[in-house]
Amino acid sequence: MSLDTFIAERQARWAALEAAIKSAKRGRLRNQSASDIERFGLLLRQTSSDLGIARRDHPDAPIAEYLNTLCARAHPLLYRGRAWRIGAVGPFFATALPRSFRAAWPYIVASFGLLVIGFIAGWVAVDLRPDLRASLVPPSLFDEMARGQIGTGVQDAPFAAAFIIQNNIRVALICFAGGMLLGIPTALVLLTNGWMLGTVAAAVRLGGYDYQFWSLIVPHGVLELSVIVISGGTGLMLGDAILRPGQLRRAESLARVAVRAVLLALGAASLLIIAGTLEAFVSPSALPDGVKLAIGGLVGILLYSWLLLAGRAPRRRRTFQLDGAAETPA
Amino acid sequence: VDSSQLDTINVKTSDNITLGYSVAGLGSRLVAQILDNLLAVPLTLIAVLLYGAVASVFVTSSEGAGFADAGAGFFAGFVYFGYFFVSEEVTGGKTPGKSAMGLRVIKVDGSAADFAALAVRNVIRIVDVGVVLIGIVVMFFQPQTRRLGDLGAGTIVVRDRAMVTLAAAVAPPPIILRTPDAGPAIDGIDRIGSFERDALRVFLSRPGLSPKLRADLARDIAKRLFERLALPPGAPERLWPPELFIERIYLQLEQRYP
Repeated sequence: MSLDTFIAERQARWAALEAAIKSAKRGRLRNQSASDIERFGLLLRQTSSDLGIARRDHPDAPIAEYLNTLCARAHPLLYRGRAWRIGAVGPFFATALPRSFRAAWPYIVASFGLLVIGFIAGWVAVDLRPDLRASLVPPSLFDEMARGQIGTGVQDAPFAAAFIIQNNIRVALICFAGGMLLGIPTALVLLTNGWMLGTVAAAVRLGGYDYQFWSLIVPHGVLELSVIVISGGTGLMLGDAILRPGQLRRAESLARVAVRAVLLALGAASLLIIAGTLEAFVSPSALPDGVKLAIGGLVGILLYSWLLLAGRAPRRRRTFQLDGAAETPA
Repeated sequence: VDSSQLDTINVKTSDNITLGYSVAGLGSRLVAQILDNLLAVPLTLIAVLLYGAVASVFVTSSEGAGFADAGAGFFAGFVYFGYFFVSEEVTGGKTPGKSAMGLRVIKVDGSAADFAALAVRNVIRIVDVGVVLIGIVVMFFQPQTRRLGDLGAGTIVVRDRAMVTLAAAVAPPPIILRTPDAGPAIDGIDRIGSFERDALRVFLSRPGLSPKLRADLARDIAKRLFERLALPPGAPERLWPPELFIERIYLQLEQRYP
């Protein structure tokens, strides 16, 4: 077929595809009817077949370049991942998040390990040199506690909550994003947080205020530290994907884990809204210390039974026949 | 490797056709980034001012004011980074700056960038922008001009504009000067394939060739065509003027294979 005939015969459908691309709003075909989308698919397949013909028969003609650009613009409109919907939030928290938490367990254990190492180092540092504790622990905290002033409530608690939530979400996202730098910033954040907690805990123990101190930390700390550990784990996942890509190229290995990791990090970060609210309203409140500790324990039990148990496939029950053969129901 | 292919990524579609996407260069991406900052920075400032106004109404103590002030910095970060994420998510991969530059984020497999991929590339933007603009350094050395966020998300920024319009892709009509008709049938014309035919078309449609140059070129092309057609030494076609010969071949091909 001559180039002229080729173009004359088929340019109507190319123009139709071009018009359909223009009518797509905001990079999506969402506003179009089912039959329009079906027609779009047909036009795209026909045009890409024309592209194949043009490349074979007229490789140097500009028409091949034109058809390539046309198909390249149309392709992402039709081929796309699952769209985000408000209805996806429920199943995400009910099953997907706990599952990816469990799938990421080696990284989460490693992340927890780093936090514990920081904690022990901080504790030992204060134990060895109690004279230096004043420089390790903010003195104001110490003085307040000595005067028994802490635990009398925070003024403007909503602002405190907003501040705490924002700050912790920032820390969680930095833990994740730090994975791009081989996880080194992630490890530093985990060690520093462990160190701070360790030094303060050892210092208040020397002063004899531990019960009061832990009642101040535990109600929100269980949730908050869990989230830091989880997002630290996602950062370590990224770092590991870069360091040990296996058979894949580094970029591919990274992209493969990053989507799972970011959903885990964002899902965990959303829990910080609960943690920040507890930190501003419950931890410093006038509730008895025992109640505060109990709230922390309850939050911990709820959190980990959700993360460890939700979204598991129902266990297959074995029924034993009299002849001893095991049978599993379909 | 063809040098014109270096800034192209090839995607094999489910129709088994390879599509070439033209990768956006560092220059256009930085200009897009500057345009976006012209919008994102004022937006962030307005948001922080609003935040301050709301805070000053509700804060009742100096302690609360301290929290509100410290919170303003983080709030600014959320609005700034949120601008990129939300605008990419809402428009299918185009911030206003990218849109102005004709750029678009897609995944490396050619599909549209989805929610999770855009979340990854925009959370990692914290590192790309926050750590001494490491993103620009990475884009400079990365062959496909991807920053860390693109590498993590498996995304790539491509040119989204049509480079060649259909009108430009349609070749100009051939200029037939010598003959109103196709002349007597030429033996062995079946041996001419579509590549040769396109070459004849290009020759005949070239405007502005000087008559002498056109005649020289025609003689050269005709000599090759004689071999291709395997015309015997005494064939009458060998005595036609070369330009007439080419025009007749072209017209006969048009008649035989429209």
